[in-house]
Amino acid sequence: MTRQLLTGNGAAAWGARLARADYVPAFPITPQTEIIETLAEWIDRGEMAGRLTTLESEHSMITAAAAAAATGVRVFTATSSQGLLYGLEMIYTVAGWRVPFLLVNVSRGLATPITLEPDHTDVLAARDSGFLQVHCATCQEIVDTVLIAYRLAEDPRIRLPAIVNQDGFYLSFTREAVELPAPEAAQRFLPAFDPEAIRFRASRPLSQACAVLGASSYSYFRYETHLASLKALDVYDEIAEAFEQEFGRRWPPVEAYRCDDAEIVFFMIGAFATKAREAVDRLRDAGVAVGLVRPRLVRPWPAGELRRTLLRKRAVVVVDQNLSMGSGGVLHAELAATLYGQPGAPVLLSFVGALGGRDIPPEEFFEMARLAREAAEKGEAPAPRLLYTAQELREMRKLQAVAHAERKELP
Amino acid sequence: MFRIRFHGRGGQGIKTASQILGSAFFRSGFEVQDAPRYGAERRGAPIFAYVRADRSPIHERGVILRPDLVVVADESLVPIPAAGVLQGVTSNTLLLVNSPQTPELWQQRLKLGAPVLCLPVESEGEDRAGLPHIGATCAGAAARLVGVVARESLVQAVEDELAKLGADELEFNLDHALAAFDAFSRHAGRVQEGAAIEAGGYARPEWIDLEPDAALFAAPDVEGAATSEGAKTGLWRTLRPVIDYERCNRCSWICSTLCPDGAIRVEADHTPRVDYDHCKGCMVCVAVCPPHAIAAVSEAGARAEESPA
Amino acid sequence: MSAETRFGRMKDLPSTHLLGTGTAMCAGCGGLEALHEIYDVLGARSVFVNAAGCMTLLSVYPFTPFRGSWLYTSMASAPAGAQGVRDALDLLLARGALPPEEDLQVVTLTGDGAAYGMGLSATSSAIERGLDFLYICYDNEGYGNTGQQTSAATPHGARTATAVGGHVGWKKDLFAIWCAHRPAYAATVIGAEPLDLARKIEKAMKLKGPRLILALAPCPTGWGYEPRDTVEVGRLAVKSGVFPLKEYEDGRVTHTKPPHPRAPVKDYLRLQGRFAHLFEPKRDEATIAEIQAAVDRYWEGAG
Repeated sequence: MTRQLLTGNGAAAWGARLARADYVPAFPITPQTEIIETLAEWIDRGEMAGRLTTLESEHSMITAAAAAAATGVRVFTATSSQGLLYGLEMIYTVAGWRVPFLLVNVSRGLATPITLEPDHTDVLAARDSGFLQVHCATCQEIVDTVLIAYRLAEDPRIRLPAIVNQDGFYLSFTREAVELPAPEAAQRFLPAFDPEAIRFRASRPLSQACAVLGASSYSYFRYETHLASLKALDVYDEIAEAFEQEFGRRWPPVEAYRCDDAEIVFFMIGAFATKAREAVDRLRDAGVAVGLVRPRLVRPWPAGELRRTLLRKRAVVVVDQNLSMGSGGVLHAELAATLYGQPGAPVLLSFVGALGGRDIPPEEFFEMARLAREAAEKGEAPAPRLLYTAQELREMRKLQAVAHAERKELP
Repeated sequence: MFRIRFHGRGGQGIKTASQILGSAFFRSGFEVQDAPRYGAERRGAPIFAYVRADRSPIHERGVILRPDLVVVADESLVPIPAAGVLQGVTSNTLLLVNSPQTPELWQQRLKLGAPVLCLPVESEGEDRAGLPHIGATCAGAAARLVGVVARESLVQAVEDELAKLGADELEFNLDHALAAFDAFSRHAGRVQEGAAIEAGGYARPEWIDLEPDAALFAAPDVEGAATSEGAKTGLWRTLRPVIDYERCNRCSWICSTLCPDGAIRVEADHTPRVDYDHCKGCMVCVAVCPPHAIAAVSEAGARAEESPA
Repeated sequence: MSAETRFGRMKDLPSTHLLGTGTAMCAGCGGLEALHEIYDVLGARSVFVNAAGCMTLLSVYPFTPFRGSWLYTSMASAPAGAQGVRDALDLLLARGALPPEEDLQVVTLTGDGAAYGMGLSATSSAIERGLDFLYICYDNEGYGNTGQQTSAATPHGARTATAVGGHVGWKKDLFAIWCAHRPAYAATVIGAEPLDLARKIEKAMKLKGPRLILALAPCPTGWGYEPRDTVEVGRLAVKSGVFPLKEYEDGRVTHTKPPHPRAPVKDYLRLQGRFAHLFEPKRDEATIAEIQAAVDRYWEGAG
C-alpha cells in the first residue's frame, strides 16, 4: 500500500470513491467545494461510477440526498457552515426517515460576522438532529472514517444518516500523508448498500415520513430514533474492530492518549486535538502527568467510555472550539452532564478557544494545564475563559479605530 | 375547580362556546383557562374545547381528563369512541346533550350513572348540528348549570367574544345564549366542582422501557395501499346524500367523478353507491346531479331510522 | 386531441377510484377532487413527493390514501426530493438493480403557498435541470392549511386572514413562470372539468421532462362558500374566464376550453365569502371592474 499526500477534502472525496457512492447531490461552499469538484471530475472521466447533481441550495441538496437514499442507493454529500444551517430543517427532518447516507461537513465558523475559517459551532447545531456525528483529527482519519461511518449508518440495527466532520483549512486544505485503502479491501469492509424494505418500487407501495396525530406516536418515533443512535455505540465497536482487522488502523470511539496515569486531561474534538497531543508530550517531558481524551463519536455521545476514562482523574480541561451563546462551551456542558454525581468526578475547566480559526499556541496548553493543577488542588474550577490575549485586543482596537474614524470616543 | 369540556364538530363554534364560558367565568371573578384542541380535523370532524375556572390561580394544564360538565353540541358524537365525549365521565359528571331525545333515554343508553340533560328542542326538522348559534347556546346553558355566573356576566362575555362579528350576529347569538341560560334556571348549580387528584394512593403509571425496533417499524412509514380507508370520515357527516334510484339516470360518472373524496362508486350496471363509511357529507353530489336524484337528509334522522331502538 | 385520447367522452372517465377515501381533507375540498381525478388516470405506479400544505395530512400514520408510494419532505424542497428519487431510480435502472416494470412516475404534490413562494426556487431549478417529473399544484389561493392567509397566489380583492380589507396585490402567474422555463408540458386543470383534466394528465404522462399540472382548488373553508358549491364555483371560474383552461406544449399555449360567451366575473365572485365585501354593505364597483378588466385584458391577449 502506498502513501500519498492528500488534503482533507481530497481524503473525503477518496472516501466517497472507495465507498462506491452512487449519488452525489452537491452544492458549493468554501471550504468544502474541492470535495464535490474532485468527485465531479472523477465521475466525468469515468473513474468513478455514479451521478452528481448540483442542487440550488443545501436545503434541496439534503432533501435530494435523503430522497435518493429512501429510494435505495448509496448517497454521499458535503457541506459547511452556513450551508449546513441552510439545510438544517432537512437535517432534522430526514434523520427520522431512517435512511442512511453520509454528509461530510467541513467545519467553518458561523456568521455573524461571516468568516471562512473554522470552528465547530456549525456542526454542533446539528447534534440533536438524529444524525450520527463522527469528528476527525487527521486526513488519514477522514478517508477511514467515511468507510466506517457508511457501515455504521447502513447497519440494519441503526439506519441513520451520518455526518463526518473535518476542520476547514486545518484539514480541508492541508495535505498530509494518507494511506488509501485498497478498493478490494474497501469493498470487503463495506459491501453494497442493502436498503432492505425501505425503498420505492412499483410492486410494494410504501408511504414514507407520514405525519402523526397524537403525542404517543410522536414520542415513539422520536425516541426510537434516539435509541437507534444509542445502539450505534455498540455497533461502532464491532465495526472499528472489523476495520482494524482489515486495515490495521484502530479508530476507537474515544481516543485516549497517555491517559492511564494522567492526573490532568485535555478534552477536545477535531484537528486541534493533535496540538493538545503535542502539548501532552512536552508536558510529560516536563514531568507533568497529562493526557488527552478526544471523542470521535459525538453522536451518539459515548458517555460510558468517557466515564471509564475520566473518572478519578483530578481535572479535565475542556477546550471548546464552539460557543453556545448565553451558555458557553457545548462540550463542557455535555461532559459535565456525563460526569456529574459520579464517584471520582474530576474538576472541569472550561475554555473557549480557536473561534473562527484562531490558533492555540503551546503556551496556552501549558497554562491551561497549570490552571488545572491549581483547580485540582483547590477542588474548584475557575470561571470559564476565552482564549484571547491582550495583544489581540490591542489589534482589535486598532481596527475599531479605523472602523469608527469619525467618532471622538473609542472604548 | 370547575372542569368543563365542550364537544362538537369543526365549524359548530365549539371554540367560541369555550371562550364565551371562559369570559363569563372571568367576568364573574374567576381565574380561567379556556382552550380549543386542534388536530388535523376539518369542518365536520369531531373536535373539543375546554374550560377550567377556579377562585384560586389554576396550575392544572392541558386536556381535562375528569370533567365536571360535558357539553355535546352534536349528539351523533356520543357513541364515537374517537370523539372522546365520554372520556373520564363518572357518575359525578353532568352531561348536556343537544338532542331531541329525552335525558332518560340517554341515561339508559349510556349506563354511566351520570345525570343527563338535553338542550330544549326549538327547531324541529332542522339540522340541529348545523344550527349557526349552537356554540352560543351551549355556552349559555353551561353558564347556568355551573350556578356561579350571573346573567349580566354572560351578556358581557358574549359581547366580549362576538362583538367583532357585527351587531346582527351579536344579537342573534346573545338571544340564543340567554334563552339557553334562562331555560336551565331549574338546574342552576347542578354542576359539582371536582376535587384534585390526591397524591396519596394514586394509580402508579405503568412505565415501560422502549426497545429499539427495526427501522421500518420505527419510522413513520406505511407499507400498503389505501390504508386510509380505515379512517371512517363518514363520522364527520351531519347531512347524508341519499340517492333516489327511481330518478337516477345511471349517467355513470357525474356524482362519482365529482365527489371530492371518491366516495361514490359506480357498479357495472351504472348504479352509483355512496360509501357512507367515508362520505363526509359535503353534498357536492346533491348539487351536481342533473336529474336531482340525490337528496340531503339529516344524518341524525337517517341514523335514527336505521336503528329505531 | 380526441383521436389520441382514451377519454373521448364523459362516460370514458374511470368510475372506480384509486385514491383511498378517509383522508383528512375538508368536506368539499376542490383540491382533493382534482387529485383523485388525476390519480385515476395517473395510476399507482407513482411516487408522490409531497410539500408542506393542506395535503401534508393526506398520509397520517398509519393511514395513506395512496395505492402507490409517497414521501413527505418539506415546504421548500419537494422538487429536490423528486430529483433525488428520480436520480436514484435512474441509477438503479441503469445498473439493472431495478427491473423496468418496477419504475415509478415521480410526482411532486404541492399547494400554492409552496409552489408560488417558498418552493419556487427549488421548482425553477428542477425544471432547469430537466427533471422528469409531474408537478401538481393544488392552488387554493392562500395558505389554506393555516387558515387562509395571503399567499402569492391570492387573487386581487380577496379577503384573507391577513388581508381583511381584501388583497391589494395580484395573483402571480405561475403558468407563465413555468412556460418561461420551456418545460415539456404545462397545463391548468380543475376538478369541475374532469374530461379536460383527464386528457391533460393522459397527455402529460406520455411526455418526459418537467410537466406542470396547475389545478385551481376551490376551497369552501378558505373561500367562504358551502362545500356543496365546489363544482359550481369551479365551473364559474372557467366560465367567467378567471381561470383559463390551457396547455403549453412545444412553445405554444392553447386554450382547451375558452368560455363563449364569458360570464361576468361578478357571478363568480359573488358566490364566495372572500369577495362578499365587494358586494355588501356597499358594492365596490371599482374593484369588481378592475378584476373584470384584468380578465378581459387576458382574453384579448389570448385571442
